[in-house]
Amino acid sequence: MEEKNVLEIRQLRTSFFTRRGEIRAVDDVSLDVREGAITGIVGESGCGKSMTARSILRLLKYPGRLIGGEVLLDGRDLTKLTEKEMSAVRGGEISMIFQEPMTSLNPVMRVGRQVEEALRLHRRLSAREAREQAVAMLAAVGIAEPEKRARCYPHELSGGMRQRVMIAMAMICKPRLLIADEPTTALDVTVQAQILRLMKELRDNGTSILLISHDLGVIAQVCDYVYVMYAGRIVEHAEVCELFDHPTHPYTRGLLGAVSSLESGSNTLQTIPGVVPNLLHLPAGCAFSLRCGECRKGCAEHLPALRACAPGHEVRCHRIGEVNA
Amino acid sequence: MIANIARRLGQALLVLLGVALAIFIMLRIIPGNAILTMMGEHADPVVIERMTAELGLNEPIPTQFLRYLHDAVTGDFGTSYSMHRSVRELMGAAFGNTLKLALAAAVFAWLLGIVSGIIAAVKKNGLLDRLFMGVSLFGVSMPVFMAAMLLQYVFAYQLHWVPISRVTDWRGFILPAIALGWNSAGSIARLTRSTLLEVLQEDYIDTARAKGRRQFGVLTRHALRNAMLPVLTMMAVQLSSMLSGAVICETIFSINGIGRLAVQAISGRDIPLLQGTILFSTALVILGNFVADSLYSVLDPRIRRGSEP
Amino acid sequence: MKTTNTVLPTEERLASQIGEAEGPLELFARLAAENKLAIISLIVIFLFVLAAILSPVLTPYRFDEMDLSQRLKPPSAEHLLGTDEGGRDVLTRMLYGSRVSLLVGVVPTVLSMLLGAALGILAGYLGGWVDALLMRLADIMLAFPTMLLAMVIMYTLGDGLVNIFLALTLVNWASVSRIVRSETLKLRESEYVEAARSMGVSPMRIMLRHILPNCIPSLIVLFTLNIPSAILTESSLSFLGLGIQPPNASWGLMVNTGRQFLYTAPWISLAPSAAIMVIVLAFNFLGDGLRDVLDPHLKKS
Repeated sequence: MEEKNVLEIRQLRTSFFTRRGEIRAVDDVSLDVREGAITGIVGESGCGKSMTARSILRLLKYPGRLIGGEVLLDGRDLTKLTEKEMSAVRGGEISMIFQEPMTSLNPVMRVGRQVEEALRLHRRLSAREAREQAVAMLAAVGIAEPEKRARCYPHELSGGMRQRVMIAMAMICKPRLLIADEPTTALDVTVQAQILRLMKELRDNGTSILLISHDLGVIAQVCDYVYVMYAGRIVEHAEVCELFDHPTHPYTRGLLGAVSSLESGSNTLQTIPGVVPNLLHLPAGCAFSLRCGECRKGCAEHLPALRACAPGHEVRCHRIGEVNA
Repeated sequence: MIANIARRLGQALLVLLGVALAIFIMLRIIPGNAILTMMGEHADPVVIERMTAELGLNEPIPTQFLRYLHDAVTGDFGTSYSMHRSVRELMGAAFGNTLKLALAAAVFAWLLGIVSGIIAAVKKNGLLDRLFMGVSLFGVSMPVFMAAMLLQYVFAYQLHWVPISRVTDWRGFILPAIALGWNSAGSIARLTRSTLLEVLQEDYIDTARAKGRRQFGVLTRHALRNAMLPVLTMMAVQLSSMLSGAVICETIFSINGIGRLAVQAISGRDIPLLQGTILFSTALVILGNFVADSLYSVLDPRIRRGSEP
Repeated sequence: MKTTNTVLPTEERLASQIGEAEGPLELFARLAAENKLAIISLIVIFLFVLAAILSPVLTPYRFDEMDLSQRLKPPSAEHLLGTDEGGRDVLTRMLYGSRVSLLVGVVPTVLSMLLGAALGILAGYLGGWVDALLMRLADIMLAFPTMLLAMVIMYTLGDGLVNIFLALTLVNWASVSRIVRSETLKLRESEYVEAARSMGVSPMRIMLRHILPNCIPSLIVLFTLNIPSAILTESSLSFLGLGIQPPNASWGLMVNTGRQFLYTAPWISLAPSAAIMVIVLAFNFLGDGLRDVLDPHLKKS
């Protein structure tokens, strides 16, 4: 099967310019989102995964700024578009849903209006057609009594229902790509499972999805391909089975160890020592060297390149071949 | 929602009753003999006797209060001593002028305040932001009489743009409206800016941008409606306080409004007139607060649908 | 904060956990770092206070010294801000007037804060009919237009400085008590107050030792923001002839007497107006700065 990419990110760099210096939130990130698949980005909070997502749509908040790289949607570089052209992409070709369904909906606007909005912005439609499509979309994301719900205000809906509304809103223009930034983090477990099932259905109907999560369980359940980020850089990427079967980067192994020690019920909880480093004071070399149990001389001084360790599996570590051979 | 508004109305009426009682106490009981205060200490005892009976001041205090309440409810505030006309007529005439002044001042204040507040928020920390916020802080710090006199000095005396002596047509209201609205414009601008900045940080603003709304649409369709809720409340309160008598402004510009009537009542030691004006003004404020609260609950669906207590 | 299980929390430790108040110096440093305008305002206020105290030393004239040969003289070397209709030196009268303004700013504000804080804490902590009664009373006071209420009280009490203090206290306590009450309601439900109550601390002591100290940041901010409004109200009262009476000097009174000479001798009324504006502006800047530093959640009100 020939794989086609919807979105290709090349050497993307996004920084925050603060009084205390430049913070490289996204540092030289390249990734591909495959057509009709769910691509995941996983990492601890603050590793730059949300900033990567926001950089794609150029929805950075001050003082964040995109400083380099390309974001290619079907070969068109989004970083070169004017703000007007970009707003045609947002919601039309790429749409995004956010972590907090409680606060991501406008509290004084009826839900139906909010779902229609993107349609009215990007397609020439009469009010009635827009309304009908919005109601149909609400039904499609599994909302019972969609006509009644469309007339509700967000505070009248439950958290799971609001996230369904967010998804309906994002899908209404049938975008090429859906970016989901921690879509299930704020929800409780049963609702989480329902929303993930919905995302898989969307994928099976041909939607390409970029899913961002800190939760390896979520990634394992729904993703086809995974990128692992640490301190603004991609440290490992592979197909989901390959990654979970042969985690190679010490950081990925640490993450998986933390999960599996819980599942196997072992008495000691395995954790990665230390915390995410201050992005203002990163070592010149491998950012994980500060916490890495296998750190050797030179690790902190020289930045390792992403190197293939298996077909379709790349790792950013000096010690591959050494450790996992 | 109806029950909610009915409850507020009940509270407002209760406060109004309390206000009436407070005015009664302040004006009839504390100053000792109201007649003496009015007539001076060397008045003819026969006259004092007659006036006391006329005012019903020789009756027991509860009876006096009930009669005063009854009169107030039926709109009978008695006869002014200093002007020899019915208080209701005097207030009716004065309120027309106060209404014109207040509306003109409010429109000026709201337009200026809201527009500059929005621009300041959008251009946060920019030159216009600093300029508007600096000016608005001057606005809230400048006493009304200073604004009034500066305007008179510059526009009437130096530039002759408006006549020095007051004219009765609309031009006579330009300077008073600006002097009176200046303060309010400052508060509105500051509130608009701060609520708008807060709203622009909300997640749903990101959602709107992610849908493809451009900056203008985000502002008009999403941010402003949320940011304007507290501003509307402030607007209603401001209007009612302007309507309840812009004492200083009306005095300086010699506008025969409610506020000036109150000042004249005090200098004329005219208790029926003072009682009438202050009761009327306070009732207006209570009405204004009630309207503001109700407006808020109509405009904010979270309160309207009663999901919050 | 770590808790050690071996030592039961004492009342003092509970209080110290929440009351970790910074000293005035740290507060000042933070204010200076974040808000230059607030510091400038503080200096301006200090200069006004100095001028008020030292006014007899700073000027060769007396505030009620009439000299009809010097009527309505424009600003000059002898009279920096000119003279008024009685030939009195405007600057001298302004210096003495600053005493009235500062006193009127501070004294009734302190009194209304004390009264408002006491009633607010009582209402919030005791609840029930005490709360209902006090808050309805506050509602009634707040319904009056400020200026008219102050006018009627002055009419009832008669003019004079002490009566101005009383009038402004009566006008201002209600809004203070509202804010303190709502803070108290929040604090009453907090864990450390629950804990103190479960240890049998008396209600009086809880109110004074546990609730009041936590209201202090809000009270400081209210204090700085209520001073300018008191100054404005006094000047308006005196302007209407209901406050300070001649020959004493007050800025509002000076503006009033100068008003008839606005076109021929604008300095008489504009100089004290400007003084009022500067001091009010300074307090507003300082209050804004303090609010940002001390108590961000007050911002909305």
